[in-house]
Amino acid sequence: MLNLAPRNKLGLVIDSPLLAGSGAVGYGDAWPPGLRPEDFGAIITAPVSAAPRKGRPQPRLTEIPGGFLLDTGGHNPGFRRLAASQIRTWRRLPTPVILALAGGEPGDRAWMAAHLEPLEDVIAGVELSVSEDVNLGETAAFIAAVRRATPLPILARLPVTRATYLARTAIVAGADALIVGTPPPASYPASQTLIEAPLSGPAAFPFTLRALSLLAELDLDSPIIAAGGVYSLDDALLCLEMGASAVAIRGLVWRDPAAARRLAINIRPFMPEMEGVESDEG
Amino acid sequence: MIQVRAQIRDRELHGAVHILHLHAPDLARQLHPGQAVLIQTGWYVDPFLRRTFYPVAIDDAGFAIRLAPDADRGRAWLRMPPQGAEIDILGPVGRGYALPERTRRILCLGQGDAAWTLLPLVHAASAQGLGVALAMEASTKRQTIPPRDLPITVEYHVATLDGSAGRRGDLRPLLPDLLRWADAVMAAGSLDFYHVLARMIEDARMILPRDYAQALYQTDFLCGFGACQACAADVAGGRRRVCLRGPVFDLVDILR
Repeated sequence: MLNLAPRNKLGLVIDSPLLAGSGAVGYGDAWPPGLRPEDFGAIITAPVSAAPRKGRPQPRLTEIPGGFLLDTGGHNPGFRRLAASQIRTWRRLPTPVILALAGGEPGDRAWMAAHLEPLEDVIAGVELSVSEDVNLGETAAFIAAVRRATPLPILARLPVTRATYLARTAIVAGADALIVGTPPPASYPASQTLIEAPLSGPAAFPFTLRALSLLAELDLDSPIIAAGGVYSLDDALLCLEMGASAVAIRGLVWRDPAAARRLAINIRPFMPEMEGVESDEG
Repeated sequence: MIQVRAQIRDRELHGAVHILHLHAPDLARQLHPGQAVLIQTGWYVDPFLRRTFYPVAIDDAGFAIRLAPDADRGRAWLRMPPQGAEIDILGPVGRGYALPERTRRILCLGQGDAAWTLLPLVHAASAQGLGVALAMEASTKRQTIPPRDLPITVEYHVATLDGSAGRRGDLRPLLPDLLRWADAVMAAGSLDFYHVLARMIEDARMILPRDYAQALYQTDFLCGFGACQACAADVAGGRRRVCLRGPVFDLVDILR
């Protein structure tokens, strides 16, 4: 067992270092063939915003060499409707559910966090994505606001290109763990328009690795989750070797569920141990 | 939905068009006309996205896909693997055509390459003893379905823009009579084609009723199981995931 929020009194204990990354299985309700909730240490939902968002019209997807760009425009049913419709699903899941809270108006994420109290028995933590263009003060302010609003563990997803700049601020503001991270945004044509979105797929992996190696030099005392382009057991083990406590996958789940299942099985023996957390072996 | 390794059991060449017959009995048992399959192409992770195909034939042992000449590198790659090679497939995706109960006369209407996706439905409806008419429009004869691929009982109408097969032009002059004859319409084509079809149905039958016409909303899928939201489109009165609600919709829902 591994605790991804060792300084949080609620903790976030996982039994596998493999997480279903943001939206990999939708809101925990969209499962590909062959994969089960037990294959993951935790499930991070697709981001939800305070109000419903219709998202971007077609096209939303374009392929790039080694990956793809996906811009849904933040399409989601909104916090209240999602919570009402998914609470039974989350309660049934045997795996911790981490709710990704999307930004929007100032205070939206704190508002959603404040309304998580009735869900605290089914939600194990929240993911907050820090966007590319915020400064240290803004990062500290919105994470601290969410920290004040909920005791649940906070996982801060950092942009890989600014992870070292933002990491300490996120932790001081109240993040229990860091997700590294959001790959750099890119543009590519699709049906006579340009899709602009963070890189997805194996093409994102070198960015993840670089951010991990730079964060390792900071010697942070918080768990780090590697996310972005992890596509094989070798990729995942490299991330663990470089200091990550866990890895999150998304594109692999969508493209090749059988390979994701193999990764889920093969990575279990490599579960990192952290101080203060009892392992299965006692 | 299941994930299978399907073996290429045959490759028919018709000029530049390949028909790839795939041995995948487990998937074929679940596959209905109009549903999609997602095929992994290339080596390792490039191209990354699976290619979406709508099978043009389905039997107990597997199904067939049609590879028209295409600049897309994933589809081009599928022209290379030899007979016996295995490819990775996810499917079926979504909901296909559903033959309405108490229907006796089905009109299948297709446009261009999309018309080929109606073939499994034409065979299934004909095998059930229904009266089936297939009408397709295409740019040229090479894009049309050869009559030999159809059950003998099927009434077949063709229109080509260049006049190389059937009547010159599009299907519009033929539709009034066919629409008055049909109990149900199953269509595969572009959104423009569906708008024309809706107007013709309203002209022929006064209104476009729900449950009269079904249409394939052709799109490419990423995951195919509702997680990624890449396929969400403006259908059925909202922005909805085509992989869950479609890809075959009531025509009313596609146009709303």
